Amino acid sequence: MVDPVGARAIDRSVSKLHFYLSLAVVLILGAALVGCKKTQNTIKIGLAAVQSGSDAQIGLTMLQGSQIAVDEWNAKGGVLGKQIETISLDDEGKPDKAVNVAQSLVDDGAIAVLGHLNSGCTIPASRVYNNGKIIQITPGSTNPQFTEQGYPYAFRICGRDDQQGAIAGAYLHDVLKLNKIAILHNKTAYGEGLATEVKKTFESKGGTVTMFQGIGQDENDFSANVSVIKGSGAEGFFWGGMYGQGGPLCVKMRQQGINIPFVSGDGCFDQTFIDTVGGTAANVFLSFGRDYHSLPAAQPFLEKYKAKYQHDEGAYSVYGYDAANALLTAIDQAQTTDPDKVAAVLKSRSFDTILGKIEFDSKGDLKQSGYVIWTIKDGKLQALPDNP
Amino acid sequence: MHSSLTLTEILIDGISRGAVYALVALGYTMVYGVLGMINFAHGEVFMIGMFACVYAIGAFSAAWGDHVLLNLGLGIIVAMIFSAAYGYANERIAYRRLRKAHVLAPLTSAIGISTFLQYFIFLNVSKEKVPFPRYYSDLLTTHHLQIGPIDISYLRLAIFGLTLLIMIGLFYLINFTRLGIALRATAQDQLMASLVGIPVDKIIAFTFILGSGLAAIAGVMVSMYTNVLVFDAGYRVGLKAFTAAILGGIGNVPGAVLGAMILGLTEALTTLQFGSEWSDVTTFAMLMLVLLLRPRGLLGERVADKV
Repeated sequence: MVDPVGARAIDRSVSKLHFYLSLAVVLILGAALVGCKKTQNTIKIGLAAVQSGSDAQIGLTMLQGSQIAVDEWNAKGGVLGKQIETISLDDEGKPDKAVNVAQSLVDDGAIAVLGHLNSGCTIPASRVYNNGKIIQITPGSTNPQFTEQGYPYAFRICGRDDQQGAIAGAYLHDVLKLNKIAILHNKTAYGEGLATEVKKTFESKGGTVTMFQGIGQDENDFSANVSVIKGSGAEGFFWGGMYGQGGPLCVKMRQQGINIPFVSGDGCFDQTFIDTVGGTAANVFLSFGRDYHSLPAAQPFLEKYKAKYQHDEGAYSVYGYDAANALLTAIDQAQTTDPDKVAAVLKSRSFDTILGKIEFDSKGDLKQSGYVIWTIKDGKLQALPDNP
Repeated sequence: MHSSLTLTEILIDGISRGAVYALVALGYTMVYGVLGMINFAHGEVFMIGMFACVYAIGAFSAAWGDHVLLNLGLGIIVAMIFSAAYGYANERIAYRRLRKAHVLAPLTSAIGISTFLQYFIFLNVSKEKVPFPRYYSDLLTTHHLQIGPIDISYLRLAIFGLTLLIMIGLFYLINFTRLGIALRATAQDQLMASLVGIPVDKIIAFTFILGSGLAAIAGVMVSMYTNVLVFDAGYRVGLKAFTAAILGGIGNVPGAVLGAMILGLTEALTTLQFGSEWSDVTTFAMLMLVLLLRPRGLLGERVADKV
């Protein structure tokens, strides 16, 4: 039995609900309009990268580097007479989320994006930015495909995996003098891409790759892989992936008695990796850009970074800083935020950065990449002099 | 094709991996056996055990220095208390009121609790992977039992031994004790059990507390074994353990261990033969095959009428 009084009460409350709902809609729309009007006085730049999950640290520090550059420009009065506003978004290291983040930056009216970190995110997001006519500079994605798509607004301020893989492969063969290596990757655009480049280089030099396998990004038990590596008779090992898995994998290898060289790329270049494998870990080699710690140009940035964020600067914060500076310099010179003009400026001149003078080629890649091999010494990463 | 040494090592890897799954699968199967519901939050209770242990070890070593055995032992106890508390709270908050509801209600509630706990740890404790303090795991990982050319670390022996011990303990508890009679009675018919004086609520709470305490031990062992703690560790291991429990016949204690061993060995052999990228494919293909031939799992007897 339905109580008629109760039914009337429900009717009343439903109409009340409708009233409040419509009120909320009107208020939100109004606020949005006001918001639009207010923000025309700033220039919006998106900062997009992984900020949570197992790659959080490397992504977050990269964006913090960009933020320092933006703060410096704002202190000097901004660019084109306007203050710069950053919109920082987390792509969680997931390709689908990265596309959402990209779309929301386009919708929010960002004129440029500094990001993303993971190649698996940068590549799908780049299509959205290209369609939205937004300049994208990635400080950390190394998969070649990003700039091979022919997008006019895509730039990369770090090296490519074909360059990085060539260095790592050559190091394994020429410097470490190995003939047989095993390769494991994390099945992502970055990990598999880099692993494939290492394989190509190593085989072209006459070496043999005894194992080439992939493993899911959420897998933490590597013991079976380690046994296969051991059984394959490999004299060296390359990991194509990030530090979150690389660290435990390296530890597992050592625990199972395999002391062959452990080589990996920029994805393992993080303090967390060293914390996991231990500061005294031997026979660990990582490919990364040249050492900037001793460069005089880096000192003001490093001091500012430590003062503001109170932790180590991470692998890619310098690249984030350089990317922001190159972008803002180009906008300043173009005297407009028009993406075609800014892109033309970016491709036409050289920029002074912490890592030296840089120039972009017609694809948006750096004309010179400076990969070197690093190793762990006394709890810190140190660049090695004996590069191939 | 492969040397017999590699094959033996892979078999040991597979058994170790299976033992890890089994430790978690026992918790799934026990709750299912009593309540007929899948406790999806079990993986998260396992993950909370990992974190509780490592943070407790940190606190103890700050308080009175690095005594490996003392701190590790106390850490495991703290982890068990924490996990048991979470397990009990889950039952009290999310499941008890839904016990008489449609079977999908507690299931949905369990999935909700699982997500809630995962992101609670993610947001409040650590967004990053945390390495297990090596100083404490070295005792078990660097010492090996040498059998000919094969090394088996003490940790693997400990995991395997613990799995067998817990399996036998649970089997004995359920089949040969007064408490076990109460458990089985509750499993058969809660109303009738309460009519003959069995405190059904307490029995069910006990099941959750016991299962969660065991999950904490599993969490500590697994985080030592993989050297890493992460907020979603419970998800992956939980999914595999759940699969193992289904494979062996959910609700059946030895079945959970058997299923877990088959799963672990399948994954390890796949890694050897086809590469680890195929391990999920072979695992779930095997699950489908087993369920086609034996819908109740390998050792399943009771009709899986719920869920």
